[in-house]
Amino acid sequence: MRTGHLDTTFAALADPTRRAILARLANGDANVTELAKPFDMSQPAISKHLKVLERAGLISRGREAQSRPCRLEARRLREATEWMERYRRFWEESFDRLGEYLVILKQKEKRNARNK
Amino acid sequence: MSPDAKKPELVLTRVFDAPRRLVFEAWTKAEHVSRWFAPRPLTMARCEVDFRPGGAFRFVMHAPDGTDYPFEGAFGEIVPPERIVFTGTVHEGNVAVTTVTFVEHEGKTTLTMKQTFAFESDATRGAKQGWTMTLDQLGEHLTKL
Repeated sequence: MRTGHLDTTFAALADPTRRAILARLANGDANVTELAKPFDMSQPAISKHLKVLERAGLISRGREAQSRPCRLEARRLREATEWMERYRRFWEESFDRLGEYLVILKQKEKRNARNK
Repeated sequence: MSPDAKKPELVLTRVFDAPRRLVFEAWTKAEHVSRWFAPRPLTMARCEVDFRPGGAFRFVMHAPDGTDYPFEGAFGEIVPPERIVFTGTVHEGNVAVTTVTFVEHEGKTTLTMKQTFAFESDATRGAKQGWTMTLDQLGEHLTKL
């Protein structure tokens, strides 16, 4: 279960505002002013969140001096999702085996009850 | 924080055709856990379970290619046969708090596992932000890309 940037990615995703920003960017690129609008937050506060997202590789920012539009970088988000999927599958498969094992445990109990 | 930001979680549910007492029991001893915890083709090379609040567990799963996958942590709250809470290392020092609940109905047991991940990186260390997510929610975003 090893992936290089996973902790940075997940830490960036830890904040609901940042998740909401990513959700907004999934609908298309946007600049800081546009991103700040739905939140009751100052532009510097939003900029701080954007820096965390950018460092985590979850977004990239344009070079145009003023607006610097933000773009969602899908690859990093996909890595995180894939890790979650593997993790979920791990437990699903463990539960498959638990189900099989419970059949054995139940039979054992029945046998023990009969022998008493 | 925006009020409509969802607090998503990783939740797994499974119904077992066995009484709750037995499903719970399967989590409490190494002899049981070693029989089901490691998904195929992994095998349980080491399995220690100190089943009490604060007690540690330590598993090592062995893959056919020789790789060992350790999983270790400690139990928190234990309410037999209803609930088990444990904290375990899931990824490079990052931990997940897991709550497993057992509910019996007409001889069958519904097991619900809820996991909250607390990932920290250099960028957020000290901030102690926990997060939980559903795959579904992230998947939703991905379909839009």
